[in-house]
Amino acid sequence: MSSVIMTDSLTKQYGKKTVVDRLNLNVPAGSIYGFLGPNGAGKSTTLKLLLGLIRPTKGRMMLLGREVGRKNRLAILARTGSLIESPAYYGHLSGEENLKIICTLKNVPVKEIDRVLKIVRMDGQQQKKVSQYSLGMKQRLGLAAALLGNPDLLLLDEPTNGLDPAGIQEMRKLICSLPKQYGITIVVSSHLLSEIDQIATHVGIIDQGKLIFQDTLASLHEHSKSRLILHTDNDSAALKVLKQAKIPARIRGGQLILSTKEDALAAEAAAALVHSGIRLFRIYEQQMSLEDIFLHLTGKQVSL
Amino acid sequence: MILSIIRQLSAEQKKSRRRKIWLVPLGFLLFEHLWIFWLLTHAYAEELVSGYLMLFYQFPVMNTLILPLMIAVIASRLSDIEVKGDTLKLLYTLQSPTSFFACKYLSGIKYLLFFTAGNGMLIPIFGKIFGFGNPMKVSMFFSYLAVTLCTGMILLAIQQTLSLVSNSQIMPLAVGLAGSFLGLFSLFFPAPFARLVIWGYFAAFPCVRMNWDRNTKITEFYEVPFPLFPFLAFAAAGILIYMLCRTITIKKEV
Repeated sequence: MSSVIMTDSLTKQYGKKTVVDRLNLNVPAGSIYGFLGPNGAGKSTTLKLLLGLIRPTKGRMMLLGREVGRKNRLAILARTGSLIESPAYYGHLSGEENLKIICTLKNVPVKEIDRVLKIVRMDGQQQKKVSQYSLGMKQRLGLAAALLGNPDLLLLDEPTNGLDPAGIQEMRKLICSLPKQYGITIVVSSHLLSEIDQIATHVGIIDQGKLIFQDTLASLHEHSKSRLILHTDNDSAALKVLKQAKIPARIRGGQLILSTKEDALAAEAAAALVHSGIRLFRIYEQQMSLEDIFLHLTGKQVSL
Repeated sequence: MILSIIRQLSAEQKKSRRRKIWLVPLGFLLFEHLWIFWLLTHAYAEELVSGYLMLFYQFPVMNTLILPLMIAVIASRLSDIEVKGDTLKLLYTLQSPTSFFACKYLSGIKYLLFFTAGNGMLIPIFGKIFGFGNPMKVSMFFSYLAVTLCTGMILLAIQQTLSLVSNSQIMPLAVGLAGSFLGLFSLFFPAPFARLVIWGYFAAFPCVRMNWDRNTKITEFYEVPFPLFPFLAFAAAGILIYMLCRTITIKKEV
């Protein structure tokens, strides 16, 4: 699969602070690339770097097969659409008038407006002033603007921020439909693991400016080693018994966890507990959640 | 390239729909000319003989008072839509920041041209209405318009920058208002200090000077040569000011 975005040691420093640190992104064509990281990890800065809104301190970037420089930046960006942070709009104009401005700047025929409004399910709302739109509608208008001119690449920065649950659901559906129907590659940043889990095909995880994971979502899930949980009437006594029997176990988060999935050891643990008079209610396998994986990768608890 | 600039100017035009920006220069134009009309109705017949000289003396002084504010309002009306709508991060992916700044500036100049042209058209009309004795000197007329336009353009670059880099429009408008008064006061400053006040430059290149006789209470206006080279130096400095303003604006991270 060819790459739509490739960066080589992309770095951005503000004074002595490194916000993006030697990033090597690789976004395959036709993918929905979930760019994940806690707030302040460097996601927005990376997207702004890709769009040329800020200049990198070091490193190179290739977008749509061409190395981005000062001279060809706008020519390359003509094939991309973006929605960075909050939607950009002229509140005193109608949705349609806003899109007409973008059409003019992109040199796209105005008949495109009906098409993109249909995609974002906003047909019928275009005559209303944007200042009267809800945040969800403004986000969808922003997405419609990004879709003008049939871009090959969409860069969406936290597109569900501030939306209500129904709006979030609708935006997700919309994002998921675009690569299949229009062949667009999408980079979508989020600090919500669950969100990326629902829409992305590929994932890049950034923390403190560094890319700590990049692969398919399926590969990320492979990191989710399962473990066995034991429910007993006395977990601390049970842990002692298991340790005496040299069976690896620990108590974490109030749960007695067997650090193995081997059937023989599981049976041995059950027998040891029953023989020592501890009542064993249940043994079950638990998958590591994506939060756990993130914790495992970053080594710290973050709100995701 | 030219087509791209035309498209960008057309986008600027579309953005200013429903902003009623034309009312700003129109209002200031009416205000200034009603004021002049009132002055002329109260002028002595001797003064009306050299009525054009009187106008070319009075207008620059009045422009010093009212144009800084008018320009601040125009720049603010054109720029606050970008600040409010957080549009720069989208626009800079569609057009270069330098051409955005230039097109925004050109669209502001349109209103300045409207005011200057309106002012220029009304001067001979006043001459007809009040029957000025001496004919209007064409060179004086055009040098007055050139000074008005050039000073206005420099102030527009400054005001546009302030409006684009400020999150609130209160500061740029306050600067415009303060500039109006400072510009007027600068006319009474010693020359080296007056040259430091950019808002006062509307009246810094006079073609006409005034004598007021304390005994007869008659004001006499007389022609002086237009200071062409100082004006050209000012215009050249204006180009540097524009470039500095543009750099400040595009350096602001979006």
